[in-house]
Amino acid sequence: MTDIDRILAERYDRRGFMRMAGATTLGAAVLAACKKAEDNGGSTGTSGAPASHPPIEQEPGDLAVFDWSGYGNGDYYPNKERASLWQQYADQTGDTPQFTLFENDDAAYTKAVAGTVDFDVVHPCGYKYKDWVDLGAMQPWDTSLIPNYSQLNPKLMESGVVDGQQYFIPLDWGFIAPIVNLDHVDPTEESFNILFDDRYEGKISWVDTSNMMYIGGMALGVSDPFDMTDEELGQVRDFLASKKHLVKFMWNQSYDFWLAFKKEEVWIGYAWPDTVGYADAAGMNYLYMTPKEGRVSWVCGMGLAKDTQNYFHAHDYVDSWASKKAAEFLLAWYYYGHTNTTADLSVVSPGVVSALGLDDPTVLEPPKAIPESYIPRRDVYQQYWSEVLAS
Amino acid sequence: MATQEAAASAKHWRRRERGVTAALLSAPMLWLLLFFVAPVVYVASYSVGAIKLFPTDTGVISLDGWRHFFGGGSIYLGLFWKSVRMSLTVSVIVVLLAYPIGYFLALCVRKLKYVLLLVVIVPFLTSFLLRVLAWKVMLGDKGVVNSLLVSLHLRPANEPIEWLLYSQFTVMLVLAYVWIPFVALPIFVSLDNLDRSLLEAASDLGASRVRTFLRVTLPLSLPGLIAAFVFVFVPTIGEFVTPLLVGGTNGYMYGNAIQDLFTRGLDWQSGSVLAMFLLIVVAGLMALFGRYVQVRSVAAD
Repeated sequence: MTDIDRILAERYDRRGFMRMAGATTLGAAVLAACKKAEDNGGSTGTSGAPASHPPIEQEPGDLAVFDWSGYGNGDYYPNKERASLWQQYADQTGDTPQFTLFENDDAAYTKAVAGTVDFDVVHPCGYKYKDWVDLGAMQPWDTSLIPNYSQLNPKLMESGVVDGQQYFIPLDWGFIAPIVNLDHVDPTEESFNILFDDRYEGKISWVDTSNMMYIGGMALGVSDPFDMTDEELGQVRDFLASKKHLVKFMWNQSYDFWLAFKKEEVWIGYAWPDTVGYADAAGMNYLYMTPKEGRVSWVCGMGLAKDTQNYFHAHDYVDSWASKKAAEFLLAWYYYGHTNTTADLSVVSPGVVSALGLDDPTVLEPPKAIPESYIPRRDVYQQYWSEVLAS
Repeated sequence: MATQEAAASAKHWRRRERGVTAALLSAPMLWLLLFFVAPVVYVASYSVGAIKLFPTDTGVISLDGWRHFFGGGSIYLGLFWKSVRMSLTVSVIVVLLAYPIGYFLALCVRKLKYVLLLVVIVPFLTSFLLRVLAWKVMLGDKGVVNSLLVSLHLRPANEPIEWLLYSQFTVMLVLAYVWIPFVALPIFVSLDNLDRSLLEAASDLGASRVRTFLRVTLPLSLPGLIAAFVFVFVPTIGEFVTPLLVGGTNGYMYGNAIQDLFTRGLDWQSGSVLAMFLLIVVAGLMALFGRYVQVRSVAAD
């Protein structure tokens, strides 16, 4: 589907949330699960796992999942999240995962660094993969223990490879791009510049994260928005500070942005795909831009804790998340893409499929999209962003 | 001999009394030590780099964080003063609005006094978050206030008053709303404890009601007034939830900067500097106001 490096993506905060459930049967996933169960049954060191791992029967269970809100803990759709994301896991293992939540990638990483969280499985986004591996907190997956892995987009899987090993299983993906209300906005071009358009003072919403620094960098045309120099960062800071008066509010929860967009309190905003799904369902006259700079794409994936006592449980859990059913749940209820290529796109409306380019094999490739890359100096970006906020 | 025995007995008794006092105090002291003093020391250590967030951080102990905070280019000091201004405004408004409530309850009603007091504090039964979020419904472009103005033809339909939501005004309005019932309590208590015979005496001596209020009631309720002021000022100066929900870009406060530095900036050293500075200022204010506020004067008998 796309060049691997291109997809190395992420997103920073996000997730608010929504949506419904895919019906459908597991089909291949069930068959795969059966095969997997057999594997695990005889997994006394011969099923591809290192001999150092005791069989699943001897694992403690109570799988500790460190994840976003609404990704199985039931914050948004208690029954559907469970049924779609981890019922397969529960049926296979008899275990109920225990969720600890984080609000964004940086907060998750901070907690891990500070040692305030214990987890077996964690779900960061692409730009953070290397940080987690470098922290020494992760170990590679044994993909032979994940039957549904064969259904996942191989190109996208490459984005989960760090230091030559599959440390992460990329699963959910989406975009960052401007959305506009065409009843009130007349864009002269499709560009992130619309977020800084003086014509729409008080009708614009930015996201409340340092991601705005690279968006500002794109607007100023810097050579690499993800690796700006101090001078460039200073220029972006001054630019954003000078445009801040245009902004009605900066959103922390995507759903808050959607509510304001729907009520027409704002006409323009930095948006994730879920807003597109809602706007489409509400029959709004909207445009989810494909900016000339490219939509910023993100891909998030599951990582396995180095010191996990639930090695096989964790693999079963990820297999459940990698299923067609999980993919269709994310599509239908959160309007997020999933790396499972067998997902039935008819679970969302044709309008959403078209707006998000879900049926377009090139949608994650340039010039349509650029991956939100690893930012080597994110702490410096954050400092400058803090100054924008406090200015 | 008997005197010596009595002295020994008294000494023994005093020692025992001290032992009992120490035993009784040890639990709360331990609590304070563990959950107040130790965390403050911990945060202070972060602020000078004695403790690091990242094990890979090789920096040494220094006052750089503090120097940067007080440096000429620091934006945080400016943000602090902005928060102080907002907080001061809120505190003054809240005290002015809460005083009549306390006065009415303490001096004007008799039978229903405590029923009405209960009514005043009823909002506390609702979640703080819900009370704040309810304002979003009322103040939005298509909220209750703007809709009313439009329906009364006081405002064109496509030109709502935009500064009602996501502004400094909103933050101050919501904070005032949240704190008024809370602040009415110390004022009520100080007025309720007022010796009514003083009012009668003033009246007997020919003072008008206004003069009585200014010369007797107000000065005697001053401790309650100051306590009320402190009760609002101290928590609101570090407020971050309300600005986060309804403040927009203009309502950003000092507390938000601390939160951002800790949760997203990963800059715990700067965050600790900001937090310690706030703590020091608040502690200073408490010491200052403590001279005027006697706990007894604002607590029920």
